[in-house]
Amino acid sequence: MENRKIRIGFYALTSCYGCQLQFAMMDEILQLIDKAKIECWYMLNRNSSEEREVDIAFIEGSVSTKEEVELVKKIREKAKIVVAVGSCAVHGGVQSWGKEKELEQLWKTVYGDGKVKFEPKMAEPVEKFIKVDYKLYGCPPEKRDFLYALGTFLVGSWPEDIDYPVCVECRLRGNSCILIEKGEPCLGPVTVAGCDARCPAYSVACIGCRGAVGYDVAWFDSLAREFKKKGFTKEEILDRMRIFNAHNPKLEEMVNKIFEEGE
Amino acid sequence: MYIPITVDHIARVEGKGGIEIVMGDEGVKEVKLNIIEGPRFFEAITIGKKLDEALAVYPRICSFCSAAHKLTALEAAEKAIGFTPREEIQKLRELLYIGDMIESHALHLYLLVLPDYLGYPDPLSMVDRYKREIEYAMKLKNIGSKIMDVLGSRAIHQENAVLGGFGKLPSRAQFEELRKELKEILPLAEYTVELFAKLEQFREVEDKENVHMAIKPRGGIYGIYGDYVKVSDGFEFPVENYKEWIVERVVEHSFAKHSFYKEKPFMVGAISRIVNNADLLYGKAKALYERYRDLFRYDNCFANNLAQALELVYFTEKAIDIIDETLARWPIRERDAVEIKDGFGVSITEAPRGLLVYALEVKNGRVSYADIITPTAMNLAIMERHVRMMAEKHYQDDPDRLKLLSEMVVRAFDPCISCSVHVVKL
Repeated sequence: MENRKIRIGFYALTSCYGCQLQFAMMDEILQLIDKAKIECWYMLNRNSSEEREVDIAFIEGSVSTKEEVELVKKIREKAKIVVAVGSCAVHGGVQSWGKEKELEQLWKTVYGDGKVKFEPKMAEPVEKFIKVDYKLYGCPPEKRDFLYALGTFLVGSWPEDIDYPVCVECRLRGNSCILIEKGEPCLGPVTVAGCDARCPAYSVACIGCRGAVGYDVAWFDSLAREFKKKGFTKEEILDRMRIFNAHNPKLEEMVNKIFEEGE
Repeated sequence: MYIPITVDHIARVEGKGGIEIVMGDEGVKEVKLNIIEGPRFFEAITIGKKLDEALAVYPRICSFCSAAHKLTALEAAEKAIGFTPREEIQKLRELLYIGDMIESHALHLYLLVLPDYLGYPDPLSMVDRYKREIEYAMKLKNIGSKIMDVLGSRAIHQENAVLGGFGKLPSRAQFEELRKELKEILPLAEYTVELFAKLEQFREVEDKENVHMAIKPRGGIYGIYGDYVKVSDGFEFPVENYKEWIVERVVEHSFAKHSFYKEKPFMVGAISRIVNNADLLYGKAKALYERYRDLFRYDNCFANNLAQALELVYFTEKAIDIIDETLARWPIRERDAVEIKDGFGVSITEAPRGLLVYALEVKNGRVSYADIITPTAMNLAIMERHVRMMAEKHYQDDPDRLKLLSEMVVRAFDPCISCSVHVVKL
């Protein structure tokens, strides 16, 4: 890769465009110009095409139309590395919060009997349709998540996953505990770290935007068991976790473990 | 047989949309803005959810104006539960909102609009020849982001604005630093006005029928919050009556609904605010407005770009004033206790792209009704009309020229397509 520029594509499915905005807002992006060629990035570049081969494909958004199913398949064919970026691409996003409701019912309440020529589907994560090589968590991911992933790719290495919860970073920052001291349903104990406990540092309970920490060890953390001690029900915690984890197949099982532990 | 001229995916706008110009024997037959992004059902999915969790989800409708969504939803929710924030908290929320306004305008003007005028496909390749412009763009959007970062917890999807106030307020030193940096970017904002005053406003889309809607700012100073909506035909209505005057309809070529006022399309956004409220400006922005008065045209959507540039100056000065008032009152308590009572509330504010409506009903601590109308949903109908006007003048030109001009019309409205497709009603 030394002799040529790395080819990058940034593709959007159904989302708020926040992951791309985060990427575009990095001052470091100007340093990237010498090292990378942007083949597709509609948000910034009129000369974009989804038909070109790329080395790294960043995909933002949930798969929410039939056209988007075809698009992710095409991106997979043309890309060496596919990175699912942000909560929508990784977990289906907040638009999956209503997963338990029927699409037909959602559709009817919003559009009534009015005719729209496109066919919608329920929002789903990218991984449901294609192989994803790496995931950037968060709503949106932190700038340093992008820098770390891109930096390791550029030097021909591979970024590591974070396998510890927000609580670790929160303790290191010396914040007072929102769950224990204020009794609010802070999802810090069960959420992927990497945000430097951004919200708890503002005295705001974590809503789990980086998704549930995927390594089962953390689920038996004594902090997670505080949910029960503080009188939160399993349903309350589950519903809060579903905001950003609707498509996590292990969610219920994991939350059950917290609430069954020690009974 | 005519082949439609299409732009499948309009670049340099927020979200995914396309333009379709259908030709016939008589010239342009039909112009459609196709909104191809999937629907996200925000109102429907938040029904039955806890109020604070729903309030964390609404901003995710759009990243370019997440603070606008957060703060408008918050005001509607606080009205619903019968809580009025203290004046100093209200001011700080406006400051957070201004951060969004500055960032959004800077991004739109320099990164999305300017490349068209300078003949570039994207802003990054402008760096070699237009280093100053790119540097200004970064500095301006950085100060907007920094306000949101420091006061809102982050630049995209702020969590620090909560029912009753803020989770935590920045320190006095942080406010002082913001103030210093805002002072430093003021000349950059003024330069932006001078720059955009020179750019062409295409006469093809001149439309004497343009109707503009904007908030009647609370306190009689040009701003974001208000209790009445003003229309450029002289009409006013209280925000609670929005449904009578902003009428939404489903159209078949779009996941987003179109809005009408008295059966006609209308416009919202920076130029609509200037058209309705220019007499409420003050400071450097007032002087610049007077200097370029003739360019702030109600009958040309391209004036929206210049109006945004003027607002960069205005809101930078206003942000400095709010920080001064805040520091004069220091220390400020960040939050009051709220009781989540049942009720219904409507808030309409000025998002970067124009009026943003939130109507929320709360029952037993949960959202029982939600209706959201975004500025882009309001602008879609008039946007189509103006792309059509452009197409009617240029359909015999090179299709690439027509495509570019049509895209430029769309970009002048600064559409936020993600915003427009979350859509409505229960």
